[in-house]
Amino acid sequence: MDALIVIFVSGLISIFAAFAKKPSVVLLGASGGLMLAIGLWINQMVTGQSLVNINYEGLEFDPFSLMFSLALSVFSLLIISVGYERFKEEPDHTGEYIGLLLFSLCGAVIMTAFTDMFMFFLGLEILSIPIYVMAGSRKHDLRSNEASLKYFLMGAFATGLLLFGIAWVYGATESFTIEGIAAAVANPEVAGNPILLVGILLILSSFVFKVGAAPFHFWSPDVYDGAPHAVTGFMASVVKMAAFAAFLKLFAGSFGSSDLRDFWAPALAILAVITLFVGNLSALRQVRLKRLLAFSSITHVGYTLLVILSNHGLSAFDLWFYMTAYGFSIIAIITVGLVVNDAEDRIEALRGLGKRNPLLAIVAVVSILSLAGIPPTAGFFGKYMVFSHAWNDWWWLVIIALINSAISIYYYLRMLGTVISVDETPGEKIKVSPLTTVVLLICLIGMLGLGAAVPFF
Amino acid sequence: MVLATIFESGVGIKFYMLLATALFVIGAFGVIYRKNAIILLMCIELMLNAANLLLVAFSTYFGKADGQLFVFFIMVVAAAEATVGLSILVLVFRNARSVDIRLFNKLKD
Repeated sequence: MDALIVIFVSGLISIFAAFAKKPSVVLLGASGGLMLAIGLWINQMVTGQSLVNINYEGLEFDPFSLMFSLALSVFSLLIISVGYERFKEEPDHTGEYIGLLLFSLCGAVIMTAFTDMFMFFLGLEILSIPIYVMAGSRKHDLRSNEASLKYFLMGAFATGLLLFGIAWVYGATESFTIEGIAAAVANPEVAGNPILLVGILLILSSFVFKVGAAPFHFWSPDVYDGAPHAVTGFMASVVKMAAFAAFLKLFAGSFGSSDLRDFWAPALAILAVITLFVGNLSALRQVRLKRLLAFSSITHVGYTLLVILSNHGLSAFDLWFYMTAYGFSIIAIITVGLVVNDAEDRIEALRGLGKRNPLLAIVAVVSILSLAGIPPTAGFFGKYMVFSHAWNDWWWLVIIALINSAISIYYYLRMLGTVISVDETPGEKIKVSPLTTVVLLICLIGMLGLGAAVPFF
Repeated sequence: MVLATIFESGVGIKFYMLLATALFVIGAFGVIYRKNAIILLMCIELMLNAANLLLVAFSTYFGKADGQLFVFFIMVVAAAEATVGLSILVLVFRNARSVDIRLFNKLKD
């Protein structure tokens, strides 16, 4: 709780520090606040209690939410450091960009720690509303405007579905808390109530919207493509991770009883199959980097849905590991895209990267391998854990996921080939600022270190 | 306790459920079929209000206050969302001189 307040206050400080028109002051305030928050999360994980004891029954920082909050804070710190290069070009607005990202992070943290629907709904909105604004932050670029408008309309529609679902669930169970709903649905009369089932389906479809799984994925390629690089990285890592954490918490906590699971799990399994094929087959013919990453993220959502489907004690850790590995990989590749800075954002612009800047090339290669799930990167171990734990209940879905992994190798390797190929007309050298170098190295350590750390977990 | 007397007058909970569902469906179809972004915004508000109506009806039916509390949260958030949505629309209109969503296909290729 104290770390959440620290993040919020540093967001406020960022906004007011912008009056000084010195972007470096804003960055210092924001990253200092985030580092303090990361320290507080780690302290609470180790000692089991927070430094300053503030309790509120709507938010519970148990180990589940602590490990997710820690990863979310680290990702936000990386993205703010990367995006700073772009943000500082407009000194008047730097504080607003960074402040909005920090407010959005508050929402993400709330979404991992909620105990009732009030906090869940508020967290979701605090997470989403700043992102609507951030997606349109290049004000004079029509593509950025379009991304913002699309994301807003889709997000607001999903919110409508969610609220209507919550209302039906309330009508069936008379409760808003996770425990209250779980206690009510233990009664078979309530669990068979059509009102409850309608509510669950509506909440499920709004989650499918938020995480960007088919058939509600249409917004994500357009929004990823149109938004600025740093915001795309934020959406792919932080927003997705928070949405999945809330998804798991709600559906394993409230609707996890075996007869309800028999109701929603087949529907979600079919969605996962569609998601996998749609994401992969559309990614095959993409030429723009961020658009390819959007379709690849749809495929990754398909793999991650296996965690929600499989019911075992380790699903929280599997989800955390998978999303952390994915987050490091996507932040790394987006940073490379941002540094290369191609106006059209073509994958071809990465050609001959090894000559132009070896560090960028190494990071790009490792992150592509990690996204494709090739050992010894973290992406491989994440995929391995998810698939092996899902095998008992969902063996046919795991087989489909493996087939899709094989398909996805094609476009990842094509991208890899572009990066390591030799360019006949060597492009100019690319300079990387010290801050970005640090981010790239942290991502590299994350991608390789998480894999090496697996035996110790 | 005006709402409580409404239930006593014989209008049962299922009529509220029907009304809320009708509002929600009108809103959802509006979002799918209309082309003007402002109308879309209004349809989304209609969906949120359908949820509000349902929550208030259930809350009164159960004799609990938490549903009505939730409605306040939804109203505040809907206001914030409308603010952000309208400002995005103004931004879009400045650059494109239109709010017809059929025009926004620059990202499709």
